[in-house]
Amino acid sequence: MLEGKKFNLFLKVGILLMLTSIIFTACAPTTVVETVEKVVEKEVIQTQIIEQIVEQEVVITATPSPVTGTLNVLGFTQGDEIAKVRVDTFIEKFPQVELVMTEGSLDAQQFLTAVASGNVPDLIYTNRDVLSTYATRGALLPLDDCVARQDIDMTQYRESAVKQVTVAGSLYGIPEFFNIITVLVNDKALADAGVAIEDIDTSDWDKIKEVNEKLTRMTDGKVTRIGFDPKLPEFLPLWVAANGGAMLSDDGRTALLDDPIVVEALEFAVALHEPAGGRQDFMAFRDTWDFFGSQNQFMSDQLGAFPMEQWYVNVLVGSSPDVELAVLPFLTREGEIITYATGNTWAIPRGSKNLDAACAFMKTVTSPEAWTAAAQTRADMRAEEGTTFTGVYTANKLADQIIFGEIMQPSGSEVFDAAVKVLVEVQDYAFSMPASPAGSEFKQAWQDAVNRVLAGEQTAAEALAQAQQEAQDALDKAWSR
Amino acid sequence: MNIESGKTVIPTTFWNKIYNNNTKSIASKTIYILVLLFVTALFILPFLWLISASLKIRSEVFNFEWIPDPVAWINYAKVWEAVPLLTWAKNSVLVGFLAAIAVVVSCSLVAFGFSYFRFPGRDFLFGLVLGTMMLPGAVTLIPVYMVWDKLGQINSLTPLWAQNLFGSAFYIFLMRQFFLSLPRELFEAARVDGASYLQMWYKIALPLTQTAMIVVFIFEFKASWAELQKSLIYLQNNMLFTLPRGLKAILDRFGQGGEMQWEIVLAASVIVTIPMVILFFMGQRYFMEGISTTGRKG
Amino acid sequence: MSVLQNEIRPKKRISNLQKKETLAALGFISPWIIGFIVFTFGPMIASLYLSLTEYDILRPPLYVGLDNYAQLLKDPKIAKSLYNSFFYAILHVPLATIVALAMAVVLNNVPRRAAGFFRTAFYLPSITPSVAIGTLWLWLLNPRIGLINRGLEFIGINGPNWIADPNWVKPGIVLMSLWSVGGTIIIYLAALREVPKELYEASRIDGASNWKQFTKITLPMISGSIFFTLIVNTIGSLQIFSEVYTMYFGQMNASTGTDSALFFVIYLFRQAFEFLNMGYASAMAWVLFVIVMVLTVIQMAFSKRWVYYEGE
Repeated sequence: MLEGKKFNLFLKVGILLMLTSIIFTACAPTTVVETVEKVVEKEVIQTQIIEQIVEQEVVITATPSPVTGTLNVLGFTQGDEIAKVRVDTFIEKFPQVELVMTEGSLDAQQFLTAVASGNVPDLIYTNRDVLSTYATRGALLPLDDCVARQDIDMTQYRESAVKQVTVAGSLYGIPEFFNIITVLVNDKALADAGVAIEDIDTSDWDKIKEVNEKLTRMTDGKVTRIGFDPKLPEFLPLWVAANGGAMLSDDGRTALLDDPIVVEALEFAVALHEPAGGRQDFMAFRDTWDFFGSQNQFMSDQLGAFPMEQWYVNVLVGSSPDVELAVLPFLTREGEIITYATGNTWAIPRGSKNLDAACAFMKTVTSPEAWTAAAQTRADMRAEEGTTFTGVYTANKLADQIIFGEIMQPSGSEVFDAAVKVLVEVQDYAFSMPASPAGSEFKQAWQDAVNRVLAGEQTAAEALAQAQQEAQDALDKAWSR
Repeated sequence: MNIESGKTVIPTTFWNKIYNNNTKSIASKTIYILVLLFVTALFILPFLWLISASLKIRSEVFNFEWIPDPVAWINYAKVWEAVPLLTWAKNSVLVGFLAAIAVVVSCSLVAFGFSYFRFPGRDFLFGLVLGTMMLPGAVTLIPVYMVWDKLGQINSLTPLWAQNLFGSAFYIFLMRQFFLSLPRELFEAARVDGASYLQMWYKIALPLTQTAMIVVFIFEFKASWAELQKSLIYLQNNMLFTLPRGLKAILDRFGQGGEMQWEIVLAASVIVTIPMVILFFMGQRYFMEGISTTGRKG
Repeated sequence: MSVLQNEIRPKKRISNLQKKETLAALGFISPWIIGFIVFTFGPMIASLYLSLTEYDILRPPLYVGLDNYAQLLKDPKIAKSLYNSFFYAILHVPLATIVALAMAVVLNNVPRRAAGFFRTAFYLPSITPSVAIGTLWLWLLNPRIGLINRGLEFIGINGPNWIADPNWVKPGIVLMSLWSVGGTIIIYLAALREVPKELYEASRIDGASNWKQFTKITLPMISGSIFFTLIVNTIGSLQIFSEVYTMYFGQMNASTGTDSALFFVIYLFRQAFEFLNMGYASAMAWVLFVIVMVLTVIQMAFSKRWVYYEGE
């Protein structure tokens, strides 16, 4: 009985609370009141600022229209010092701008619902892969005007990155990071298997096949060391480029997936799984690696070599500073250095309410000044911790020159100093996937094809023929409107 | 409330009866307990793993040890320093509470309407209720967003809970099943005594379905507590974030950019989960033990 | 059973009563009706219209008639993902029901003092974040070092490759899903508590065995709840998304690829927000809607044979 009464009371309080909150939401929401107060305050401040600016302008009349107002940024997270220091650089330079950053990386649902309903952010930060998808559909603004007004020197950015954010001749983004791929080699495994470092020559595919067999270690019929991991499906574009081909035409209109060059590259890379007992055993073993830990596949001697993005070197510095590692450039079959670059970009959605601030922000955070300030901060932090600074890899050539020329000091770790040297050198030989409006579907088509081959469902030729059809259909459809 | 107080009071539980039964040997009891403990261990495993991993240093997060060594309490301190956890928790509690209360009251009303009354079109309307469960949310996401946009509720907590004022198919269905299991005579007796329909709902139906209501409350509170999609598309201001939305920000911040600080992400996951564990522990005791004091069970 | 049926009333009064009852009923369900019109009916119609268009979210929709539906028939991934979803549902729904029921009966018999602990333990997976569950299960299912295959090895079975073998990916996911049956257990527990103890007492006097008590009393008395969970779990299993997306498509993905974990709603989501084919995704949604609707109607029709309501 008592419980029942208590329960009734609970219910009544609940209903009361709910009604109150409805009334609040409907009539006089406290948040709105607060917001109004804030806006009023802000306006007072802004008026003061404008007065100040007006005063200033009397003195410096040459300044172009001042950058003010609110700037809504979507998709960027001020997580580490590299992000924070650069944003601070902007705030210092443009104190009149009120920055509103919605934390977290750009989510497609979040961005698309906002655009569909007209609640467009002023600036977005996203993967360069998807930029063209949004740009060709008219969701982003071409930046020609912005580049001219803010006087942005586009030659300072790496060409392949700029190409990735250029759609049908117009620039749509300002590139940020520059992730590249090199071959990471486990010296311990080489010594164990009696393989010389010179034999890890990615230009000679016969040799890679041989080395892969030598480096693979089987114990009781089970693989305990993978020789050479081709990193499929994700690095197929690198294998294809090394084989002298491409998967998509430069204008982003024609899929080239059934090209014999692509088929050959896939066949070769897939065959590298065989010594380990096939793809399934290979994957099952790879999934047991302590990838981010101190007992990673290098320290535990579970891998001979693999192509990998440069951020993994950063991971290794932290998790296993004593690793016996060699970093080599990935080579084409002609013997040229090659790497596959990816990264993020800034872009302005159509409907952005503060073009000037958005443009100034993009320019500032990707400037050599901001990048080097951030890199310096990180280098100081690493020095304080007693760990190694392995560099910041940006899409801005000038910034990289300063970072690797002035900020970067020999760390005393031969392994990592040599690694950084190779990483810096390789940056100039990068290619990117051409921009296309059906980027995601294109990627899905070839990744699925690779997986079908790996699962033994189809041959490379069959799978790629099917992928070619799917990819071309998607491209045609996306370009047709 | 002692509607059927005339019935016999049975103090023993079903298990006690089995337990007292002479045919049961000590061996079978032991097996029962062992199986129970084993299954329980299986079920607790993910949570223990989560706690264990969240207390490890970065290079050991994904290793196979169950006991972290060294124990990295600093992961929790880092989460605490990095984000306004208290504000997010406050938002989550507010949204969860409003969502759960709203859904309990509205669904109970609607379910009563569907179970007690007989009226033309009832089955069709109820079919529609079920139908709303069957359309994947991905395609109605944008139209619903536009409704809230028209109501001026973007970047506010309202869209996260207020839809519950209008009921929710899953719970309407659940409550209806419970109402249907009540003997109809109870209501007819009340009608003879001159009770209005609203009184019948409030005085008879509600007290007898407390269990269901607390189940609904806990389910919805939990669902709202874990909800990410809505908070992702409706909230822009950092200070309005709920915990899952904050967890995503943490994941994006610490999981990317070459840092890969999974231990921070996992510590944040534990912080987000613990309040739910406590709430459930309290709540289940209430709805399981409280039930025996209502009239029908003596 | 009911008082109403037994009474004989003049015709006129019945219709009056019925009018009154209808009005009252509409009053009770009015919150739902309002919500349905504003938040469901409108958006449903919008999505039905969008399914007849080419819509990339960023530009206005372009009417294309039944093109999307024709495309559905040609798309091999539609068949594949539907197959995957049904395969999962057919395994998951009966297994989840049996497992949850067994757990609920066991839990219901745990001595009172310890019950809270055990109930919370069984509910834990349901409140653990899906990222953590996905990560943990990638470990548990790992064919080489995972607990599951180690356990199988212990009893002399060479376990399959749960993560990479296309034939075993879905059973692995089913295993994971059985882990999170906490919600269903709670519903059954609540229903078990509603079974009048007198019934057991009476049957015990009649000398019924435990099993007989279970089948003759417990099952019929909680059949309403079982029915509920069957319907809801069927709908839910055909819409499974987040854990699988986390495991096989999200950041922590096992990158095993193949289409064996591509469930219908995952494919729908990708079409809508990754490939920007919202029109196509809407058509997919309506196909799923119709399928689930038909299934539910069938389940409802059969339910009359075995679901027992005290009130009717």
